[in-house]
Amino acid sequence: MSAARFSGQESRQQGIHWRHVLVSLFNHAILILFTIIIVYPVLWMILASFKTPGELISNIWGLPAEPALQNYADAWEKARLGRALLNSGIVSIGAVLVVVCLSSIAGYAFAKFSFRFSGIILLVFVFTMQAPVPIIPFYVLFVRLKLTDSYLGLILAIASGAIPLSIFIFQAFFRSIPNELREAAKIDGCSEFTAFLRVVMPISGPAVATVSILTFVGAWNEYFLPLLLIRSDELRPLTLTIQVFFLQFGRAEWNVIFATLSIASIPMIVIYVLLQRWFIRGLTSGSIKG
Amino acid sequence: MPATIMPKNEPVSARRRRLSKLSPYLWILPALAVYGVFKLYPLVSGLQMSLLRWDGIEEPRYIGLRNFEKILSDPMTGAVLMNNVHYAVGTVLGKIVLSLFLAILLHQALKGRTFYRTSLFMPVVMSFVVVGVLWSWLFNPQFGLINSLLRGLGLGVLVQDWLGDAAVALNSLILVDIWKWYGFHMVIFLAGLQSIPDELYEAARIDGASVWQQFLHVTLPMLQPVMIVNVTISVMGAFNVFDIPFIMTAGGPANATNVMALHIYIRGFKFYRFGFSAALSYVLLVIVTLVAAIQLKLMTSGDNTD
Repeated sequence: MSAARFSGQESRQQGIHWRHVLVSLFNHAILILFTIIIVYPVLWMILASFKTPGELISNIWGLPAEPALQNYADAWEKARLGRALLNSGIVSIGAVLVVVCLSSIAGYAFAKFSFRFSGIILLVFVFTMQAPVPIIPFYVLFVRLKLTDSYLGLILAIASGAIPLSIFIFQAFFRSIPNELREAAKIDGCSEFTAFLRVVMPISGPAVATVSILTFVGAWNEYFLPLLLIRSDELRPLTLTIQVFFLQFGRAEWNVIFATLSIASIPMIVIYVLLQRWFIRGLTSGSIKG
Repeated sequence: MPATIMPKNEPVSARRRRLSKLSPYLWILPALAVYGVFKLYPLVSGLQMSLLRWDGIEEPRYIGLRNFEKILSDPMTGAVLMNNVHYAVGTVLGKIVLSLFLAILLHQALKGRTFYRTSLFMPVVMSFVVVGVLWSWLFNPQFGLINSLLRGLGLGVLVQDWLGDAAVALNSLILVDIWKWYGFHMVIFLAGLQSIPDELYEAARIDGASVWQQFLHVTLPMLQPVMIVNVTISVMGAFNVFDIPFIMTAGGPANATNVMALHIYIRGFKFYRFGFSAALSYVLLVIVTLVAAIQLKLMTSGDNTD
C-alpha cells in the first residue's frame, strides 16, 4: 500500500521532471534560433570579406577557397578607411570628453544644490530631449557659426544631443553619494568645486563609464549629423565614408564593401563582447533605472 | 537646517552669499549653453524660417503660412505619413511581441543567459550604415542570403525582390529595424521580469491560476513600466526613422519607403526648399508630440493606482 503510493509519487515527480526538460529544450531551441538570426549575418559578413567577387555569387554559403586579403588592402586604400577611422576616433573621443565634463558638473549641481529654476530646467530637458530637431535651422546655425566641415562642429552637434540623458545619469548617481563626503572635504579647506573634482569624481567611475559608453557608441555610429555637416573627404567619419563608398562602388565591388563593413564594426564588437556587462548597462541606462 | 554651501562659523558677507546663490547656475551653465545653442535655438528659430520662401542662397521672402497650406494640400504628405504609421505598427508590434517572448524564455533559462543576452544585444553597437549596407546584400534578389535560404528550404514561392518591389520594400526595412533592436528590448523586458517578486506567482498558483492567467494577471501588469519604456522608444524611433530608408532604398521604389524625416531632408537638401522643409519639420514635431502623448495616455489610463 505504502509502496504503491511511493512509486506513484515517484512517477509523478518523474513526469514533472520530464516536462521540465522538454520546456527547457524548447526554450533553448527558440533562443538559439533567434541568436543565429542575429549572429549569422554578422559572421557571414566577415566571411564574405575574404571572398573573391566570383565566390560571392557562386559560393554563397561556403568558406572562401583562400582568404582574399586583397579586399582589405583595397578597402584601406580606395575607401581611405585609415583616415576615416582617425576621424571617427577624434570625434567620438571629443564628444565623450565634452559630454562627461559638462554633464557631470551640471548633474552634480542638480543633485546637490537647491536653486530656483532647477525643476523647470530639468523639465525643459525632459520635454525637448526626444524632439526631432528641424534640420534646416540646425544646418543654417552651423553655417553661420562656421562650424560645418569641422571636428568641433560635429562634436558639439553630437554632444548637444547626449547632454540631457547624461545629466540625468550623473544626477542619479551623485544623489546616492552621501553628503558627509563633501562636507568632510570642505572642512579640510576644499572649495565646493575642488571637493567635487578631488573627492566625488574619483569615486564616480560607474557613472562616467555609463555616460562614456553611451556617448562613444552613439558618436561612433552616428550617420545623420556628419551627412548634414561634413562636406570634405578628409573629415568624413567611418559611417559616411562607407555610405559614399557604397554609392560609388556598391554595384561592382561587394567583396571590398564587406571588408569596409568588417573593419568598421569588428573593433566595436570585440570591445563590446569583452565589456558586455558595462555596455549593456550603459546602452540601456535611461530605459532601466539603477 | 538646509545644508549651506558655506562652512559653519565663517562670517558670511552679503557679496559671498549672493555669489553662492548664483554659483549653482555657473555649474550648469556650460551644459545648458551647448544644449541651448545647438538644440533649443534651432527648435525655435526654425519657426520663423518655416514662414519663408528660401532656397538657402537668395534673399528669403516672407510668405506667411503658405508652406503649411502647401503641406496640407500636398497628397505626398499623407502618403509619406502613412508610411511612418505602417512602419510604426510593424516595428512596434514586431519588436514588442518578439522581445517579450524571448525575455520570458530567457528568464526561465538558467544556463547560457549571458551568452544569449550578449549575442542578441550585439546589433545595438553596430551602426545603421553597416547594418543597412549588409542587409542590402542579404536582400539581393539573385545572390542574397535570404532568397538563397528560401530556395534551399523549398520555399521558393516566398522569394521576393525585397527592396525593389514597392509592395514589399517597406516591410523589408521593418524587418531590418526589428533585427537591430529586438535584443535591446529583450534586455529591458528581462530586467522588468527579474523585478517581479516570486511571491506574486506563488499566490496566483495557490489561487489556481493557469500559466496563461499568471501571464495576463501578474506578468503583464507588473511589466507596465518597462512596457511603456519599450513602446515609447519604438514609436519614437519609427516616426523619426531616417538612416535605414536613406541608406537602403533612398525612399524608393516610387516613394514606397519615403518617410517624414527623409521627405524633410530631400525637400531641404535636394530641392533646396528650406522654408518648406522647415515647415515640414514642425508638422513632424507636432505629430510626434501628439503620438507620444496619446500613447502615454492610453498606456497609463488602465492604471488602477492604489
